[in-house]
Amino acid sequence: MNETIAALAGTGASIDVQGISKRYRDTTALDDVSLQVKAGEFITLLGASGSGKSTLLNIIAGFIEPTSGRIEVAGKDITTVPPYKRDLGMVFQHYALFPHMDVWENVAFPLRRRKVARAEVERQVRQALDVVELGRLAKRRPSELSGGQQQRVALARAIVFRPRALLMDEPLGALDKRLREQLQLEIKRLHSELGTTFVFVTHDQEEALAMSDRIAVLRDGALVQVGTPEELYERPSSRYTAEFLGESNIFTGHHRGARFIDATTKADLAVGETGDCAGALVLRPEHAHLAAPGSDIPIGHNVLNGVVRDVIYLGSGLRVEVTLPDGRAIVSRPAARGRYTPEPGTGVLVHWHAERALVVPDHPSVAP
Amino acid sequence: MTSRRIVRGLLGALVGLTALYLVAPVFIVVPMSFSDSQFLKFPPTSWSTRWFESYFGDDEWIASTLASIQIGVLVTIASVVLGTLAALGMVRGNYPLRGAVAGLVLAPVLVPYVIIGLAVYAMFLQFGLTETTLGFVLIHTALAVPYVVINVSAALFSFDRRLELAAMNLGAGPVSAFLRITLPIIAPSMITGALFAFITSFDEVVTAVFLSGPDLTTLPAKMWSGVRVQIDPTVAAVSSMLLLVTLALFSGAGITRFVRSRSGARRNPGTAEPDTVRQTQ
Repeated sequence: MNETIAALAGTGASIDVQGISKRYRDTTALDDVSLQVKAGEFITLLGASGSGKSTLLNIIAGFIEPTSGRIEVAGKDITTVPPYKRDLGMVFQHYALFPHMDVWENVAFPLRRRKVARAEVERQVRQALDVVELGRLAKRRPSELSGGQQQRVALARAIVFRPRALLMDEPLGALDKRLREQLQLEIKRLHSELGTTFVFVTHDQEEALAMSDRIAVLRDGALVQVGTPEELYERPSSRYTAEFLGESNIFTGHHRGARFIDATTKADLAVGETGDCAGALVLRPEHAHLAAPGSDIPIGHNVLNGVVRDVIYLGSGLRVEVTLPDGRAIVSRPAARGRYTPEPGTGVLVHWHAERALVVPDHPSVAP
Repeated sequence: MTSRRIVRGLLGALVGLTALYLVAPVFIVVPMSFSDSQFLKFPPTSWSTRWFESYFGDDEWIASTLASIQIGVLVTIASVVLGTLAALGMVRGNYPLRGAVAGLVLAPVLVPYVIIGLAVYAMFLQFGLTETTLGFVLIHTALAVPYVVINVSAALFSFDRRLELAAMNLGAGPVSAFLRITLPIIAPSMITGALFAFITSFDEVVTAVFLSGPDLTTLPAKMWSGVRVQIDPTVAAVSSMLLLVTLALFSGAGITRFVRSRSGARRNPGTAEPDTVRQTQ
């Protein structure tokens, strides 16, 4: 098993996206996007629909011509190279398997186009099918396979010719949740064993966090932030990233010195860093602790009064929604058996360490 | 409940009558072709196969049959090539007046054949194309192309172009992607179009009557003159054989399609089944 993967392993190429823009008659799909993908890296382009993530992937694949900018693969400009000479594997959302060929012929297709010798085709197709564990279905037509199996065939077909990078356009979007999680693991395993560069497109932030070395967040055709999942989650540079990745409680207001003044309640909250700008305070639910009214609050914590509205048992913990006096909701995720058990309808204190909340400045292009 | 039954009964009767109306000519022509009479007469009073013998013993009938087959085959080839290219241009092209071009290509279906026949006759006389295979192929191809275009463009509209992108991504150039992916997938529609094209040419009588003469007469034109000049039951025998050929062609196509869809259904146990079940097979 590992030997077969080793046989397919190649050295991934770096991909350098330089100032790529794509304009249509009256819309801008991508606006001056630059992104350096390291060789062998698993990078995810994350964004809502219409953010330009698929356009960028299609430009890298060579299916769409950019209005301006350059694409380099392994240091060589490929902006004008046609897709069939780029040597980049692609996995499409709806698989795009050839319906008139069986699994074997689908996987052999890229090798035949490269005039690989017959015996070698035989060997490499067998290896690729073994990697995705579909060897015994080689003679089936795509229409006779389930969605998950079709996606594995598409993967085998995209890796069999040892592409310089693997591009994946929402490859798991059409699958149900359980299967999606299973394939996420398989793709992750494939990445670490093949060592090829992976560029993965998704709108699913959980998928992005679970799989990527780095995530590039796109919004309205522009790059918002690039970083490791941890960086994006812990230190979002904008309110958009904070809201898009994971759950957050957000207060709009003004950052002054080491204080943050909430715009609606004028609540004066301590924060870790100093600054002076309009912005948003981001508090992740796992940092918002709960305590019974009147209990001692640790030094350095901000405290807000509220009423427990809803308690959901999640197995690993609780998800508690607290209503603040001004009507806004704040979400907390305490452990299931803490010292304090929240009861819906009762008063509660929400508190967090000043260092745990983050202020993101309002940026003109990302302001709500 | 009873009113529903009445409606169903009426509908059934209507369907039966319509079907009878459509196949009635068969019940008249086929018995007539086995008649022993000198004239086209229905119902026949005595039976024989002499009019079939008369057909096979007559050089003119055989010559016009061979001419029709030759023209039909040439028309089929020409109209499948031209019609497929036209469909590609109509479905995928991006140019001004695309709708007008589509209308022009499909026009022969709408224009009465008499008008086409008359106009073409006047033109072809000048170029010496009457009574020539080339002349017949030219006009029949124009009449047959729309049927190929209609079939192939329907297939192209439903064709998933991402398959071509996938092929190119995997190393196939545009021509290779078309020949290996697009063409095999639209091939069944091209075959259906080809069948229509052949029948269009083989059955065509109106323009054929204009273009036919002593040098070249197609089978339908020969039948037409057969009925007009000598009331000879050989025409009925030819008609019976034509019916048989048409029936064979279309039921052949139908059976192939049926067998293919059945084997497809049998091999495909459905996609709703969970993956794990499939993996244990």
